[in-house]
Amino acid sequence: MQQIVNGVFTGSIYALFAIGFTLVFGILHRLNLAHSAVFAAGAFIGIELAENAGMPIWLAIPSVLVAGGVLGLVIERLAFRPLGGRHDAHFAGLISSIAVGAMFLALLQARYGPDTRRFAPDTFPQHRYDVLGVSVSLLQLTVVAVSLVLMVGLSVLVARSRLGRAMRAVAENPHAARVLGINVDRVTAATFALSSALGAVAGVLFALSVNSAQLSMGFNIELKGLAVIIVGGMGSLKGAMVGGLALGLIEVFAVTQIGSSWRDVIAFGLLIAILLVRPQGLFGSRKVREV
Amino acid sequence: MTTDASPALQVDDLVVAYGRVQAVRGVSFTVPSGGLVALVGANGAGKSSILNALAGLVRPRSGSVRFGGRDVTRRPAHELVAAGLVQVPEGREVLATMTVDENLRLGAWHRRSDADERIDEMYGRFPVLAERRALQAGALSGGEQQMLAIARALVAGPSVLLMDEPSMGLAPKIVDEVFAVIAEIQAAGTTVVLVEQNARRALRAATYGYVLESGTVAHEGPADDLLADRRVIQAYLGIE
Repeated sequence: MQQIVNGVFTGSIYALFAIGFTLVFGILHRLNLAHSAVFAAGAFIGIELAENAGMPIWLAIPSVLVAGGVLGLVIERLAFRPLGGRHDAHFAGLISSIAVGAMFLALLQARYGPDTRRFAPDTFPQHRYDVLGVSVSLLQLTVVAVSLVLMVGLSVLVARSRLGRAMRAVAENPHAARVLGINVDRVTAATFALSSALGAVAGVLFALSVNSAQLSMGFNIELKGLAVIIVGGMGSLKGAMVGGLALGLIEVFAVTQIGSSWRDVIAFGLLIAILLVRPQGLFGSRKVREV
Repeated sequence: MTTDASPALQVDDLVVAYGRVQAVRGVSFTVPSGGLVALVGANGAGKSSILNALAGLVRPRSGSVRFGGRDVTRRPAHELVAAGLVQVPEGREVLATMTVDENLRLGAWHRRSDADERIDEMYGRFPVLAERRALQAGALSGGEQQMLAIARALVAGPSVLLMDEPSMGLAPKIVDEVFAVIAEIQAAGTTVVLVEQNARRALRAATYGYVLESGTVAHEGPADDLLADRRVIQAYLGIE
């Protein structure tokens, strides 16, 4: 039971990271590999706001959300829009997003140096609760709650709002969206902003949960996030949520039941097994995308 | 016909090129307000390229487009739709995975305040769409999809409607329905520019026509005159 709680806790951060990752892919058919740098930047910005600017954490997290959105706009402008007209825009965007991600990390290093950064010990209240013999910290509850609210909020926005309708129209047929008078550039920018906003919050939540932030913190989760969205079904928001939680649970069980050195073997082995059974991913559709 | 100060559309010396290939080579024409102007010609004559340039979907290389007296050359499509210059695209381009209702709501993108009323109006006008409103647009028949494409353009409240091959791929009976709808749209005061390969049909519906050939205007005149013109009949209409 305690393992389930811990697994959900880690998994909700994976899921939050992955849902932003898969959003850009699902709507725009682009893989944004600067997403991991946004994750790291979210952590550093959160620490900056809480420690240097003296902002309480409940205000720092929404601020990180906004800052992440701005980073998303920058990524779209620098890495994707200039190359949008190319025939290999898919691949070109992939490469240029790696470059923009590297630039973000270089800027973070220029400001903070290479060392690990931490929140002050009293940043987050250290309450613990015992429920049915399971120990849960306030921090864990908060991380899970914030992740869930953001993920459900994103899903509702895509399914019901005016912007979400336009995003789905752009996903299916950008030309038809333009004919209808939708400003496709603006919808594209908004998609990147939403994606990066969630990626940045995932970063600050991760930094809070392990109380440290490193420049390299995005690399590990980038691979996991990629695995999660492939297993969940590329572009599926539900798939990213379920996949992220599943990965968190699998990891915790692998560590406690078999041993920590087996964690990645078990986790990625299971992901491969899922793909062998369902190549399109858990929630992916088999439909061949029309060009 | 009309004596408005400025025509609905005034196109001057329009050139559209894709790379080195010129699809439209200096076309000029006028669409009077309230008129129904047909652009006819063979496949590849440049009809669709003209329409896409007017709609802001393709940037013309040179020339100018005036819409209601205002220069709108190279303005993006979303501005033009908001201003009332709306296209019904070739091949209908309904959003197949979205419902009929969502398609109409997207058509009303720029009508934030009266979207619901306009959509209800379309349901009154096209009862088949009302019946199918919760269905995915991809599940509709070709004729129903064409009606949806037209309704979706009309909810935007166009003053000029650009229609690209609305009869393409439809059964003759459905083509009759589509042309009946086009006549209604014009009767209601909307200016229509109609691009068709079905030249005879288009000219019968139109007030004025342009016959295009390799990106230039080969013939023009009142539609009835073109229908009676021996050269036009021989080259484009064939013997009925």
